[in-house]
Amino acid sequence: MILDFNTAAIVAIACWATGSLLHLFALRTPALKLPAVVMTLGGSAVMAGFIAIYWSALGRPPLRTLGETRLWYAALIPLVGFLVESRWEIRWLKYYCMALAAFFLGINMLHPDVFDKTLMPALQSPWFIPHVVVYLVGYVLLAASSLTALHNVYLELRSKKNENGASVSHYLALLGFVFLTFGLIFGALWAKEAWGHYWTWDPKETWAFLSWLAYLGYLHAFRYKIENRKLQWYLALAFVVLLVCWFGVNYLPSAQNSVHTYQQS
Amino acid sequence: MVVVRRRWFQAPWDFKESILFAAVALIAGFAIQYAASGSGITLPRLPFNAIALTLFAVMTLGAGLAFRNNPLVKWLGGIPLGLCLIFAIAVLSLVGGIVPQEAAAAGSLSAQFGLNQIFSSWPFALSVLLFLGNLGLSLSWRLIPFKVQNLQFILFHAGFWIALSCAIFGSSDLQRLIVPIEIGKANNFGYTMQSDTPQPLPFSIFLHDFSLEEYPPQLLLYDPHSDKLLMNRAQAIIEVQKGTTATWKGIEVLVLDYIPYATPGTDGVPVAADRSTGVPYAKVRITTAAAPREVWISTGGPKIKPDAADLGNLYLIMVPGTPKSFRSAVTVQDGKGNDTMANLEVNKPVSFMGWKLYQMGYDEKAGRWSKLSLVEVIHDPWLPAVYLGFFMIMAGNILFFWNGIKRSKVAS
Ligand code: HEM
Repeated sequence: MILDFNTAAIVAIACWATGSLLHLFALRTPALKLPAVVMTLGGSAVMAGFIAIYWSALGRPPLRTLGETRLWYAALIPLVGFLVESRWEIRWLKYYCMALAAFFLGINMLHPDVFDKTLMPALQSPWFIPHVVVYLVGYVLLAASSLTALHNVYLELRSKKNENGASVSHYLALLGFVFLTFGLIFGALWAKEAWGHYWTWDPKETWAFLSWLAYLGYLHAFRYKIENRKLQWYLALAFVVLLVCWFGVNYLPSAQNSVHTYQQS
Repeated sequence: MVVVRRRWFQAPWDFKESILFAAVALIAGFAIQYAASGSGITLPRLPFNAIALTLFAVMTLGAGLAFRNNPLVKWLGGIPLGLCLIFAIAVLSLVGGIVPQEAAAAGSLSAQFGLNQIFSSWPFALSVLLFLGNLGLSLSWRLIPFKVQNLQFILFHAGFWIALSCAIFGSSDLQRLIVPIEIGKANNFGYTMQSDTPQPLPFSIFLHDFSLEEYPPQLLLYDPHSDKLLMNRAQAIIEVQKGTTATWKGIEVLVLDYIPYATPGTDGVPVAADRSTGVPYAKVRITTAAAPREVWISTGGPKIKPDAADLGNLYLIMVPGTPKSFRSAVTVQDGKGNDTMANLEVNKPVSFMGWKLYQMGYDEKAGRWSKLSLVEVIHDPWLPAVYLGFFMIMAGNILFFWNGIKRSKVAS
């Protein structure tokens, strides 16, 4: 990349690392709480700033390649950690979120993206940004939901006390489902404008539908009062389907002629 | 945990029976598919599909309301069966998401069971039909008596019911035709993806002009021995402009001059030309271990051969940029005196008498010199109904989001 991605990434990771340490110390010394929060949010702010600069340098939204979408995840995931902390008083999630964000940036450092300003005509649409961003937010929420569910499973196996873990994974899944649904429908409305039909069972569409079904199944199982233990397992594993949809699709035999696999670079 | 196990088919029915039911539906679907030797389903067209769908809806709602306390009907419209059918549809979609959905060798396992066109296969149709029945029953109980607190449920479930049923029952009325048109000519025939037989259209399309705009050309370093393009230091696609620089290991390139449209000149210096005849030329200074030198390179075009810079065992080449946009200026006319002039462009379809016209493609070999435009024309009378379903789901979604946010406050 022409802009110095590595510097931005290292600064962001350093922010998250110091922030995490400060958070740990803040358990003893409450005065450190504020700097801890500032540091961790600072990491996301650095990434947000980088995305803004990168966007203007590219002259198009950086949402085309997998590497570009990882920038957004890195900026957004820590924020969900904070949302969960402020809403449900669950403190551990943010550490995972920051680690995950650092992991995404690490992948991008190892596989630098190609700086490419071009955007094929089909992607030049007012739908491009809402469609992709809504999906990004959905994935971020569902990733956090799965993490929480995994943690719940772990606590359950160790027979530890777990107060509102289940409701956190539930609400994150619920909000994630809302975003997935919007993403799916925006995608269909856009496809009608760009390709002529709202649904063609393209592999990416099929997998998006599958992941949507997975969470639809969860919501109904929840309504039917299935045992909580099973639901947490379900939520923890449901993310695998999302992962396939997000980047696994590129490697499936069915996707060789898909119209919207991410550009490999 | 001690659970008194309910025996098979002991009331009230629950998951066990639902799993069995969904499994039988799948197996039956595949059996029919096999018996029909792999051929899919042909749906009736308007008005018969609309009548069939209305009857189905009325029967489902009627059965739900007339037998709302019947245990069998309750089970048929219940969540356990719904979940199992969702799972059945997910399994079929999984097949469709893995097995390539394209023509398979006749007689192959995939073709006999319809795995290569799972979304128009019997098992899929059967599962969707049962799913719609199940969804319709659950809906009937929430629709009547109507309560405001059921609004979210109704929007989601009725929206999905409408979108899914109309998309599927209406698929037989969907017409998608590709119309190839040459500049200065009109065409009133289109081709489907599946056949070479031209289909008459109720209108004709005249192509005034086709134009294609490209991104700037790119500089690349080509290694003929490995047939590979070498990535430069900055990991960037290098767009050619005056002043562009690029660096590879031991090689530095500076673009001294750039002419977007030019033809070869007598003394090796290209002369600017107009868009229709010229091709991009760039004068580059190449600095290697040897002395720097300056050369003109070009992408070439239909009548002009490309010029590359020979760097010993590597070549510096310039390739045309990828398409940025392309459009067709057309006049559409039906025999009844309706006509429209329009610019068709990707993502900007144009409507004409219930049809939508899309810029689809062009002669890619000829690139921006293409004299041919491919226009796709689509007629989908069921679209408004499907969109109604979409908007209901989105409305339900907004309520759901709102309630999710609200309720989460209570939980904290
Ligand atoms: C297969 C047939 C289906 C059945 C039998 C069914 C049944 C139900 C029932 C009984 C509820 C509980 C409603 C309440 O307590 O107010 C529910 C909730 C819900 N359903 Fe369905 N449903 C089906 C399919 C769908 C589909 C296709 C969608 C998606 C568009 C959907 C979306 C929802 C949502 C979002 C909720 C709310 C969940 C919650 O409040 O936690 N359902 N469904």
